[in-house]
Amino acid sequence: MPPLLEAKGLTKRYGTTIALESVDFEVHEGITGLLGHNGAGKSTAIKLFLGILQPTSGSAEVMGQKAHESVEVRDRLGYMPEHDCLPINPTASEFLTHMAQVSGLPPSFARTRAADVLRHVGLAEERYRPLGDFSTGMKQRVKLAQALVHDPAIALLDEATSGLDPAGREEMLDLIRRTGKEFGISILLSSHLMGDIERTCDRIIVLDGGHIGEIGEVSHFTAETQNIIIEVDRNIDDFVTVLTQKNIRAAIEGPLIVVELEREEQYDIIRDAVVDTDARLRRLTPRRHGLADIFRGAHQ
Amino acid sequence: MKEYGGEVFDLGYQHYEGPREGRMRARKALWINGMRTAIGLGRGTRAKLLPALLFLIVIMTAVIISLTAAAADVGEEFANHADFYRIISVVLLIFSAIIAPELLCPDRRDGVIFLYLVRPLTTTDYIIGRWLAFFTVTFALIIIGQVILFAGLTLAVDEPFEYLKANWLDVPRFLCAGIIIAAFTTTLPLAVSAFTTRKSFAASFVIGLFFITAIIAGIMTECDYSYDSDSESFDYGSNQQVCEPITGDAGKWLGLLDIGEISDHVTDLIMDDENESQVAKQVSQLPAVVPILWYLIMTVGPGLILLHRYRRLTA
Repeated sequence: MPPLLEAKGLTKRYGTTIALESVDFEVHEGITGLLGHNGAGKSTAIKLFLGILQPTSGSAEVMGQKAHESVEVRDRLGYMPEHDCLPINPTASEFLTHMAQVSGLPPSFARTRAADVLRHVGLAEERYRPLGDFSTGMKQRVKLAQALVHDPAIALLDEATSGLDPAGREEMLDLIRRTGKEFGISILLSSHLMGDIERTCDRIIVLDGGHIGEIGEVSHFTAETQNIIIEVDRNIDDFVTVLTQKNIRAAIEGPLIVVELEREEQYDIIRDAVVDTDARLRRLTPRRHGLADIFRGAHQ
Repeated sequence: MKEYGGEVFDLGYQHYEGPREGRMRARKALWINGMRTAIGLGRGTRAKLLPALLFLIVIMTAVIISLTAAAADVGEEFANHADFYRIISVVLLIFSAIIAPELLCPDRRDGVIFLYLVRPLTTTDYIIGRWLAFFTVTFALIIIGQVILFAGLTLAVDEPFEYLKANWLDVPRFLCAGIIIAAFTTTLPLAVSAFTTRKSFAASFVIGLFFITAIIAGIMTECDYSYDSDSESFDYGSNQQVCEPITGDAGKWLGLLDIGEISDHVTDLIMDDENESQVAKQVSQLPAVVPILWYLIMTVGPGLILLHRYRRLTA
């Protein structure tokens, strides 16, 4: 079975500007994150898989078919754009029914699917309201719903949490997770927000300046390191001085102290240092790699 | 007593296992949606008002002509099918100028166009779907009136069957002329709408274009009353006044500038009717192939511009 999406030597240039340069990667079932700064080539990659753009060289394949050569394969793709894309007049139900039909579903099936998907994204009560009356969060849900209404094999979501407040962002990420895990629809989530990718995705592809930075499982990148993080309420300088005197490598990073863990006995030394300096321990935890680290690594 | 009860099960997300009809269904959905948009269905009362009013005007015009013909017992001498096209041309102009932008401008302004083009549709499918939708509605607007008029004129005479036998050719003629007019009034306003996201700009431009070119062509073909040459002049009209355009022989060509009459020149040929307007009289002196070619250029040309514009917009 071919991968859902596959980039083979994928290159896209706009005149002299290189958007993507000989990129190779595969997207399989599950939730995959496409991480990169603005201008890294994320949106270009998505448009190449949607067949809107034609590659300069190489190929963007969807389920084994070249995206720009097959219009029909798009009925198994969903797309949620970053920018506004909703009309003002129709109700959510009318709009989704129409979009389902434009995706190839007969009218009676389209109506049923529209109602089902609106319920799944939490808009069952609002389905007969005009889209012009919707809040930003509700519009994002409608955008996701139109990407799912024809039950695609994979949905490509471009900056899905853009413009949402923290609560709305949480809800949207939860919805994306449910779509990937419970609905069984694979997701390619493009974002420049590391937190979104870290909390939602199984795999990650880091794009940097049109090149692949890193590819792998998110759990691999966020594995524990040999460092521990300590947070104390007061006397932070005295506390670090005591640790250094006891031959423990400790560095202050903002409000935190990062300690290189070399042997188990160090925990006892740290406990004693807290007591001796009256530093009031707030937190002591193993340090994990954050996606920020690989982002930084890819960029260097 | 037996107790009836029920349980509600949440089946969760169900995958779609029904038919997928692909590109043909997508095109059909776009066509139907375009027609609904053109006549204001699924939108507010204001959006329905103008199409309804214009349809009413066209129908009432046909009814009034038929009733007048019956009451005065004058039949087609009062007004024929070609005259009907000329009478409703202003209604058609307003309809096409105001409604055509509704089909294209909001899709680009709101970004919905990108949702269409990531589905099993090409840019060409989208444009053809929208064009066909507007063509269908415009053609319906024209033909409903003609059918009423034909029925009215048939019933207005003492022997309807004799009238039908003598005039049955009017039906294919007005159908053919209707296609010609609808194709033109569909294509040009849609092409203009491809260059702006503001509906009012597109509508104003189209109305302005029709009126300004009508005025320019009118001036250019205006009679030069000081002209005094029997050999090169021609006469027409009840007063037998000799008319040579102020622009001389070029007047015949300058009459083509009137965009509003481009399709009339061709429909006059189809309906085998003489148009009394000064511009039409000038153009009628040209070989028949000229207005036909001009019509094709001014219909196919904007059509190609429309397609090219959308291919560039979405590239």
